[in-house]
Amino acid sequence: MIINEKFSAIRKGLLEFLVLKIVSGDKVYVADIMGQLSGTEFATQEGTLYPLLSKMRREELVDYEWKESEAGPPRKYYKLTAKGQEQLKETDDYWQKISETVKSLGRNPAS
Amino acid sequence: MNKVITIHLNGVAFQLEEGGFDALRAYLDTAARRLGGNPDKDEILADIEQAIADKFRSLLGASKTVIITKEATDIIESMGPVDDSSGSPEDARPSAGPTAASAQPGSAAAPGAVPNAPKRLYKIREGSKIGGVCNGIAAYLNADVTIVRIAFALFGFVYGSGILIYLLLMFVLPEASTPEEMDEAHGTPSATAQEFIRRAREGYYEGMKSFGDRRAHREWRRKFKRDMRNWGREMQRDVRTNWGRQWHWNWPGSHPPGAYPPPPPAYHTHGFINLLLSLISIFFVIAIISFVTTGGILGVYFPGMPIWLGILLIIAVVKIVKWPLRAMRGSYYYGDSWHCWNPFGFIWHALMWVFLVYAVIWLFGGHVAGMHEIGQHLPHKIHSAAESIRDWWNSL
Repeated sequence: MIINEKFSAIRKGLLEFLVLKIVSGDKVYVADIMGQLSGTEFATQEGTLYPLLSKMRREELVDYEWKESEAGPPRKYYKLTAKGQEQLKETDDYWQKISETVKSLGRNPAS
Repeated sequence: MNKVITIHLNGVAFQLEEGGFDALRAYLDTAARRLGGNPDKDEILADIEQAIADKFRSLLGASKTVIITKEATDIIESMGPVDDSSGSPEDARPSAGPTAASAQPGSAAAPGAVPNAPKRLYKIREGSKIGGVCNGIAAYLNADVTIVRIAFALFGFVYGSGILIYLLLMFVLPEASTPEEMDEAHGTPSATAQEFIRRAREGYYEGMKSFGDRRAHREWRRKFKRDMRNWGREMQRDVRTNWGRQWHWNWPGSHPPGAYPPPPPAYHTHGFINLLLSLISIFFVIAIISFVTTGGILGVYFPGMPIWLGILLIIAVVKIVKWPLRAMRGSYYYGDSWHCWNPFGFIWHALMWVFLVYAVIWLFGGHVAGMHEIGQHLPHKIHSAAESIRDWWNSL
């Protein structure tokens, strides 16, 4: 499906934004992030998510702490840093602007 | 009934069917390679191993202790390919399941085509007739040297072009004198450092395949070391047997004692040959003088023969006579077929000489305007010079 290919670039660009959003809500570990994304267009696999999270941690947007889990070894729980909060806000604002621009330009196909 | 392999992921042991183990190893290898430049590579790999371990654990229970191949490949597929670009949703790239993941290490293990050994055109003195040009070309083209010589001789008939080319190449081409240069001349990928490096790299890629499985990795390392050691010995032996002679030929004083055949037992025979050769040389000088002064040799006269042709014929005859003697002397030293008397060699040698000198005279006489005059007058001048020598000889 060709149109889907085009969308994948959009999704790719937005994934970091969405991860920031998910992490901002609560301390989460990777399975939580995946669970929240799974039902959406942004369903993601570990193979993608782990490298992305490690990159975001290098950029000091997120940080993690080890927490014991009731079953199995301790898990990494991610949370936003101050810098991450800031970027989330900026991206959120930018996203609002973009969607307004999209709405205001041309004819609205839905109407 | 299937074989089961025990592995540990982040310190927890799991039992996998062999097929599942192979798929998992291929997946982790690919992941490790894709994360090659990532500063957090080890951490990401540990995370991924942990995630796989969690999934494995959720499958196992009191009555199920082994993860079968299908379950392992399903889990690997659900993990998705490790992607080091800033993160893409699962369908950003075509789903690369375990099949694609396991195909990749294979392609990396073959580091491109085997690089061709460098080949260069050299003169090769060993076993040559004149300057080693034909020998060098034969080595370069991987052809029989006799064919190259015949080709040159045939081209010699075409306005002497073959001879001209030969002379040109003789001056232009470097001479192959070291084993490395000999390798280059033949294009044989043998005892060169490059080949050594290539093999080492190949072995390294082989080793990368067993990354993640310590026992296989250790075994590979042992085998790799042994191979490299053996190969080094082989290389040394190769150098000794093949190029020892060449070294000896070029630097007679350089060989270590005992590495080469001792001097021939029949040393006096060798001395006898040397004596014969000197006698022939003396005869050659006398014959030339005799021919120039009297027009004949040992009382045999050749009326009407131009003096330059006579000189050429003398040279040719002497070469023909000397060749087997020289070859015999050579074979005493080196005791092999390389330097033994070659029944056609001396004919070639003599023919080449005749061609060469004839062509030079012909070219100078026929093509260069100024030389034409000299060329026409040269025989006359030689005759007059010979005449004056004869007068001087008779006046003694």
